[in-house]
Amino acid sequence: MLKTHQDSLSLTFGALSDPTRRKILSILANGERSVIQLVKRFDLTQPAISKHLRVLERAGLIIRGREAQWRPAKLQGAPLKEATDWMEQYRQTWEVSFDRLGAYLQTMETEQPEKRRRKVGKPKRPNSKSRSRS
Amino acid sequence: MEQLKEKQLVVSRSYDAPLEKLWKAWTEPEHFMRWYGPKGFTTPSCEIDLKVGGRHLWSMKSADGRQMYYTGVYKEIVPMQRIVYTDSMSDAEGNVMSPEKMGMPAGSPSSMDVTVTFAHEGGKTTVTVSHIGGGEGADYAAMGWEQAFDKLAGVLAKA
Repeated sequence: MLKTHQDSLSLTFGALSDPTRRKILSILANGERSVIQLVKRFDLTQPAISKHLRVLERAGLIIRGREAQWRPAKLQGAPLKEATDWMEQYRQTWEVSFDRLGAYLQTMETEQPEKRRRKVGKPKRPNSKSRSRS
Repeated sequence: MEQLKEKQLVVSRSYDAPLEKLWKAWTEPEHFMRWYGPKGFTTPSCEIDLKVGGRHLWSMKSADGRQMYYTGVYKEIVPMQRIVYTDSMSDAEGNVMSPEKMGMPAGSPSSMDVTVTFAHEGGKTTVTVSHIGGGEGADYAAMGWEQAFDKLAGVLAKA
């Protein structure tokens, strides 16, 4: 089960490694298209586009219609979502780290005083008088 | 910025803090350990040998005590501007482990290049982190899928 999941993820990544295939996917994001319609959008032959579609189909990123002539290619969300989820983990990690960094910066000592830092009026020695009174 | 296309992941944040402070937070272990890591994880150990070719080795520990180690080498250091390092899963001694062995999906890059840039403007310091998969997963680098995904995200949300 887990194995299958992992293999499909590398298939997805493999299919996505080609710019033409990524472009096909973003075209299909707007709705299903036939091979002919896709060919018009690229400077490529129909066999070349068909080959890309086969790779995408094998990776489960698209499905093809059954009709012999018009076999519209349609985007499939699930495998793509797996891949984005995987990247999303990294993004989350950074977002969380960045949040913590922001909080930590507040507490961090600026032990190398910069030139401007001089005016802030902190008492240099404890005020014994006010202490004894409290 | 043609390079941006090739980045898998770019995350950026601006802080009301001096650049020096951010640089320290990234380059000194005692500071780095205080904030780095995913949700629910702490960073119990951290070594940083801040020089080109120098090694880092830090760990992450989950609430249930699971500990993971990450190591890599600094490839570029431009003080107060830019750090580039590799990042791979490793054992406690810093021997690189394959991602599959560590339970990550097959095809995960065994090493990532992480670039951190620092910029100070108008009293704010902006830190930008970008990842590029390297090593055997080098074809990841050319993927540039982020833009495509941005567009697809809307479709997926409806699916």
